[in-house]
This record gives sequence, C-alpha cells and structure tokens, in this order.
Amino acid sequence: MKNIIAKLNKAFESRIRLGIMSALAVNEALDFNALKDLLDVTDGNLASHLKALESIGYVQSTKQFVGRKPNTRYSITKTGADDFKSHLDALGELLR
Amino acid sequence: MEKQLEDLKAIREMMEKSTKFLSLSGMSGIIAGITAIVGAAFAYFFLLNNVSTASVVGSDDFWMLLADALIVLFISVGAAFYLSMKKAKKNRQKMVKKVVIDTLYHLGVPLLAGGIFSLIFLIRGDIAMVASSTLIFYGLALINVSKFTYPEVHYLGITEIVLGLLAAVFLYHGIIFWTIGFGLCHIFYGLIMHLKYDLKKA
Repeated sequence: MKNIIAKLNKAFESRIRLGIMSALAVNEALDFNALKDLLDVTDGNLASHLKALESIGYVQSTKQFVGRKPNTRYSITKTGADDFKSHLDALGELLR
Repeated sequence: MEKQLEDLKAIREMMEKSTKFLSLSGMSGIIAGITAIVGAAFAYFFLLNNVSTASVVGSDDFWMLLADALIVLFISVGAAFYLSMKKAKKNRQKMVKKVVIDTLYHLGVPLLAGGIFSLIFLIRGDIAMVASSTLIFYGLALINVSKFTYPEVHYLGITEIVLGLLAAVFLYHGIIFWTIGFGLCHIFYGLIMHLKYDLKKA
C-alpha cells in the first residue's frame, strides 16, 4: 500500500494543477483564458500554478500575438504526459 | 482513499469539459422535430400539391418553400442555442469558447456545403433531390461533430444518412423521408437525451 502511495506524484496534489494537466492531456494546446474558463480560478492563481508546472518541465508555453494582445498557449510536454499517465495509473491501482 | 476517488472524478470531468459540448439540450431536439413536421406539412399540403409550381425558380411557391425552410431552420437553431445557454447556466458551467468554436466548426462546414449543394438543386428545379441531399449532408455533419458531444448524435447522424439514401431511391416520396429524418428522429433522439442527461442532472 505504502509503495503505491509513494508512486503518487506530489506535483499533482493540488486540484488546480491536476485540472490543468487533465485539460492539457486531451487538448493539443490551450490558451490562458481557456484554462481560466475551465478551471474557474483567478488570473494570479492560475498563473502561479502554470509557472510551477512549467518549471518542473511538465508544461511548455509559447507566446504569440493575436492582433496586439499577447496570447500565451500552453501544452503538455512529453515528460508531463508520461508522469501524468503514471499518476493516473497509480490512482487507479490504489482504488482497485 | 476518498481524496483519490475525488481526484479521478475531477480528472475525468475536466477531460470531458475541455473537449466536449455537453450543454446540448434534449429538449431542443424535440422542438426542432416538431417544427420540422409542421414545416413539412405546410409544404406538403400547400406548396407541393399535384400541379406544383414550387420547382419553378422565382415563382411565389418557390419563395414560399424557401421561406418555409428558413423559418424551420431559424426556430430549430434558435431553440438549440437558447436551451444550450440555459442548460449551461443551470449546471453552472461556463461554455468554454474553444469547445463551442470546435463544435460549430465541425458541424458547420459539412452543413454549409450541403446547404449550398441543396440550394443548387433547388435553383435548377430538381426539387426531388433536395430531401435526399439535405438529409445526407446533415447526417455527415452530425457524425463529424459527434466526437465533441453526446454519442446519441452519432447514431442520429447514421439514421439521417440512411434516410437520405432511401430518399434518393424513392425520389418522389422525399418529403416522407425528410419528415421522418428531421421530424420524428429529432423527437426520438431528443427524448432519449432529455431523459438520459437532462432529467438526471436536474
């Protein structure tokens, strides 16, 4: 039992991070506002979680301009996708 | 244990919410179906009678037929739009812009192609093919969009295509297949979706 719990990824303990990873796992890329709509969180809150996920290499961002407005699109990295899948498997195993 | 279960539920919900348009209301199918039947009955009894002039472009009957079709379309789409917004509000889910755009795009492209294609038939006076082409393209549009919404939409799409092909075989009974496809099938699938998704959540 302990073994399985150890496999759960600490990076996904927060519900918001879990939400970000879930949404990015099934979408090619999402911009900041789309994520905000989905998660129903404040700008600052979302930004800090995204930054954290980016710094551990689970999420990558590309900045572009739509007209004059900067638009940041986020997508999941290969590492992020792999680790998220392991986390899902661990969750599933735990509940079996 | 409780937390993990909640986590899994949240993950699943987020994956669905970020890719699917789940605000579609079954009731809008029922309304679209009834509107289609009324519209088809009007066309059948007043416009497409024995000595039909509706196939003559520019005749009064032609314009009446086009107006009839557009009114049916307007009421159906309007009802779908209004009820979706209402359902989204009730379930306190924001309609995610990206999902709405994905849905409209995948539904709209085949629908627009089919609409123009059917209009060409209509203008050429080949009114018999219109029932078939509208049914087939509508079915293709539904199948194309079904990956973004409830699975019933996929089955409705297949049904519409089969009816469209039958309408092409029995060319002069097109209005019957059209009424079944746009009328009865909408009511049938709308009712299923209403019972399965809308009532349960209430």
